[in-house]
Amino acid sequence: MKWLNTRLTRGAKSNLHARYLRKHRLRQLGVHITRLTLFILLITGWEISSRQGWIDPFIFSSPVRIWTLFLQMSTDPAFYQDIGITVLETMAGFILGTAAGTGLATLIWASPFLSRVLEPYLVVLNSMPKVALGPLFIVTVGAGFASILAMGIAITVIITAMVIYNSFQSVNHDYLKLARAFGANRRQLFCRIIFPACIPDLISALKVNVGLAWVGVIVGEFLVSKNGLGHLIIYGFQVFNLTLVLLSLLIVAFLATIMYLLVSRLERYLLRHR
Amino acid sequence: MSEGGGTVSEPIAIEAKRITKTYLSIQDEIHAVNPITFQIRHGEFVSLVGSSGCGKSTILSLVAGLIPPTSGTLRIFGEKVLAPSNRLGYMLQQDCLLDWRTVEDNITLGLEFRRQKSERTKSRARALLQELGLGHTLKLLPSQLSGGMRQRVALVRTLAVQPDILLLDEPFSAVDYQNKIYLEELLMNVLSKRKMTVLLVTHDLEEALALSDTILVMGGQPGTIRHTLKVPKELQSAAPLESRSKSSFRPLLNDLWKEMER
Repeated sequence: MKWLNTRLTRGAKSNLHARYLRKHRLRQLGVHITRLTLFILLITGWEISSRQGWIDPFIFSSPVRIWTLFLQMSTDPAFYQDIGITVLETMAGFILGTAAGTGLATLIWASPFLSRVLEPYLVVLNSMPKVALGPLFIVTVGAGFASILAMGIAITVIITAMVIYNSFQSVNHDYLKLARAFGANRRQLFCRIIFPACIPDLISALKVNVGLAWVGVIVGEFLVSKNGLGHLIIYGFQVFNLTLVLLSLLIVAFLATIMYLLVSRLERYLLRHR
Repeated sequence: MSEGGGTVSEPIAIEAKRITKTYLSIQDEIHAVNPITFQIRHGEFVSLVGSSGCGKSTILSLVAGLIPPTSGTLRIFGEKVLAPSNRLGYMLQQDCLLDWRTVEDNITLGLEFRRQKSERTKSRARALLQELGLGHTLKLLPSQLSGGMRQRVALVRTLAVQPDILLLDEPFSAVDYQNKIYLEELLMNVLSKRKMTVLLVTHDLEEALALSDTILVMGGQPGTIRHTLKVPKELQSAAPLESRSKSSFRPLLNDLWKEMER
């Protein structure tokens, strides 16, 4: 108990500070313990209900079955290929989609005339469900990697362009006045003021796009269905191996979380000065 | 204004001939400025005062070349203003420091835009920062500075491009009184060492009287110049705080008040 107390009050400057630290750290500890307990309860609850037949094990599977399948599949190189291809497609779709969207926003910003011409097109494209374009991609670029990539890009590019363009326009007008009084031309205005000022919004767009790219890629793999985690999900569904479906889902969730955390890391790095 | 701070022999820095400005939009047209004519000689410190909405800031934007006049001509050192002139420095009420750049990179921003950034100009900017007592902040970010310090950095950024004419749009209105006086003293110090023409827009009559050689009182909507006040020599030569305590200061301030309310 003494050991715990010294740990909780480590770095205290005074008695009052020690009490504050203990309270703060105890609450922190409480959150962690509750989180972990909830996780364990969910997993064991799932396992027990499945074994006792409270839920249909054929449909809902069970943690142990999923884990066994995972161990079994992890010896198969094809499994890693599936994961690798999906990660590659998602990363490429996410990066290219964001870059293309930012490029489009820049183009629209550079020409106010173009921006007004394109406005209704953007609105229509944005409200259209991009997934519905799937068949079109398959017949134009073939049922494979290119189609899935196209889906990942299609789903992110328009919304990125709209958000970033809005952000370009909402830059503090006094900044622009100042730069113009110094004789800045439009190109300088963009590179030195507008773009750097919009980096926080660009990162928000990245965060949203991580999720969207996954949607595009998984749906793309549903349609093309050759390999990848999306294919595993559809395959598992077709042969009614719901354990495979759930395993693939968990892997997607895990990978998507890691990508989100990487973007957060990037955010902290880029915004370290602000 | 010819016998204000600058003498008759000085060239005319800013010359406005019957300039007007009308803002147009789909719904309406707004006459911001009625025909206005004035001349400012090089080295003169002129303030533009008046109630809000009388077109003071419009005049400044016109002189800065940020917007074109609807009619009339505007010349800077005899050259017609078509775009922001290289001889101008412009300072706003907001310090507008870019929060992603260090102080050092902020004060050289104007040099970058004018493609004048070199080791020589950079060290000149650093020397200016030192002169305004902020040499130690070179590597800091704007968020680490107080409001008064930020405004001083903004002043350095404006001066770093070595302007002949300073356009100041209520530069000290956003800081507290003590800092305002301090900034005024700093500005006058800087001006005493360099020959510059200053056009200051302010709603603070005390400030205008303490700093200027000439005060233009604007009024009406659309705005015109209603009155031109020559500030007496004894106030011109006194430092900003000292000037405020001279016996002739209060009566003149009262006169200005009356002009504003007319």
